[in-house]
Amino acid sequence: MSASPVLETPSDHALAAAYRAGDERAAAELVRRHAPAVGRFLYSSGAVRDEIDDLVQEALFRAFRRLDGWRGEASFRSWLFAIASNVLRDQYRRRKGRQVLLIEDRDLPDRADPHADLAAMETEERLRQGIASLPRLQREVFLLRTQQGGGYVEIAAALGTTPGAARVHYHHAVKRLKELIR
Amino acid sequence: MNDCERLSDRMPDVALHRSEWTPEEAAHLAGCAECLAEWELVLAVRALGEGEGEGAPTVSDSSAVSATLLRRLAEDRAGRARARRAWSFAGAAAAAAAILVAVMTGRDAATVAAPPVVAEAEALVPLPELEGLETAQLDTLLQSIDRPFAGTSTLDASTLGEHEDGELEQVFAAWEG
Repeated sequence: MSASPVLETPSDHALAAAYRAGDERAAAELVRRHAPAVGRFLYSSGAVRDEIDDLVQEALFRAFRRLDGWRGEASFRSWLFAIASNVLRDQYRRRKGRQVLLIEDRDLPDRADPHADLAAMETEERLRQGIASLPRLQREVFLLRTQQGGGYVEIAAALGTTPGAARVHYHHAVKRLKELIR
Repeated sequence: MNDCERLSDRMPDVALHRSEWTPEEAAHLAGCAECLAEWELVLAVRALGEGEGEGAPTVSDSSAVSATLLRRLAEDRAGRARARRAWSFAGAAAAAAAILVAVMTGRDAATVAAPPVVAEAEALVPLPELEGLETAQLDTLLQSIDRPFAGTSTLDASTLGEHEDGELEQVFAAWEG
């Protein structure tokens, strides 16, 4: 009995190349793979929840428009995160410095311990605010490292800095956020 | 690198379930308040990134996002193609205008650089006193003009200095008609 063929999942590189060759399904697959993570990255960075879809859309548009700019030193996702971070910064500038991060009213979940849920939400919100208040490179290095597990070499390539500088940014971010959530 | 720094470097990988704490690392973590605080922070941020938080939103519909994205990219490509065509047209128009200017300027220059034509045109201006003459009379006049002065004079020009004033007056009157 012969083994069933193993369907290989195409890499991000292969999908990007396919899209450049005109295969729109490849773009749809890249979006399916990475758009949710970009949304969470933006949310973690302080984006308002109602604007996540638009920000993700804009980040993906910019990324696909200059897909040739992705040379593979960093992962596709890290590269996307760096672009998403630029989109968020541009939105902040358009608002002329008005704070992007808002404390949002949410319906309390119907659970056994609403007080615990509320405390968790407050902690989460405080954490988001803390991350949003970090200097840009600190924030990006910190999120790429903690949410994507990126190494300093890859992160440095995605953000246009050096691995040593990325490490320093990460530790500064950790120090500031630890003080914030204590 | 001390134990705290080593643990700090490993935290993202362990939080993302790519690795696990060794017993020594776990023991250090349990006894080090700084490392424990950092570990809790890393776990909380990872949860935020994985959408585990209470209110963490993410993209509502990936297929809708990709459909919109592909439409925007197609529009963008079409817009850029239109812009390229417009620039090509503008370039061609500018080139045509430049050629036209060069041709016009060259024509003017050619006109300025052709004085013999002007002189010829001036030479064609009619003399009213000649209009009444017959062809034969005009031929005679032309022959008298073409004839050398020396030939028309009864005197040799080289011997003019030997004549009296009255004689010279007669010669000049003969020349001038």
